[in-house]
Amino acid sequence: MPSDQVVFTVTAVVLIFLGLGSMIYSRNLIKTVMSFQIIVFGANLALFSSGIGGSQAYLSQTFVLFSIFVGASVEAVALALIVLIHRKYGTLDPREIRRLRN
Amino acid sequence: MSLEVALPLSIALVATVVAAMFSRTTSLSLIMLFYASLILGIIFATYGGIVPGLVHIITFAGAISVMLLTVTLMTGESRLMIGSFRLALLLSVVSVPVVGAAAYELLQGASTSSTLSIPGVTSLFQFIWEFRSWDLLILVMVFATSMTVIVNFFSRKN
Repeated sequence: MPSDQVVFTVTAVVLIFLGLGSMIYSRNLIKTVMSFQIIVFGANLALFSSGIGGSQAYLSQTFVLFSIFVGASVEAVALALIVLIHRKYGTLDPREIRRLRN
Repeated sequence: MSLEVALPLSIALVATVVAAMFSRTTSLSLIMLFYASLILGIIFATYGGIVPGLVHIITFAGAISVMLLTVTLMTGESRLMIGSFRLALLLSVVSVPVVGAAAYELLQGASTSSTLSIPGVTSLFQFIWEFRSWDLLILVMVFATSMTVIVNFFSRKN
């Protein structure tokens, strides 16, 4: 019977791969940022699960806190860039933006 | 804590993320992502990381709300299920028994459930440890349903 730690680690890996796949195949910049958030969720869960049941629980929770703040900051910057891109090109499709640039 | 808590929470987390990825509208995807963030916060809080859990929920609730506003204003998506009288009525009918059952469970569980005793914790958030994790999840669901009902009722045109 797998432990809670194993279940959460597997879930974290699934989340990271789902986010990566969605980031690669999405045709909307907002969805790309969402995929980044899903990857951050997976990373947070992996960090948190590494401390479950051990003596280093507070260390892993501190890293999770750092990761949350960094993830939110990156998302805010990405959102600002998306607003600028939408204002300039009028679309959120990366292929369309590349075509308009050329 | 046993697998009967970890496994359903993990499955719910993956399910909400998949629903967020494959939703047709971006606004619906963001709402599903908010639920995923909520479930992840519940996982943190249930397994002893109350501070990361609450910070996670609060931070990503704000971030996702800003994204939702941006999407709604920028792309003009208006296919959110807001203002639907039928949905509000349905949610009201569903939420009343759920609220009653949750309140009954909470009252029963407060006296009989085995608590996760964490020494030195007698603070504002003690109720999270005192009640069982499922009660917290039910409470979150009840709050979410109530919010949807309120939004639907107050956003009608007439």
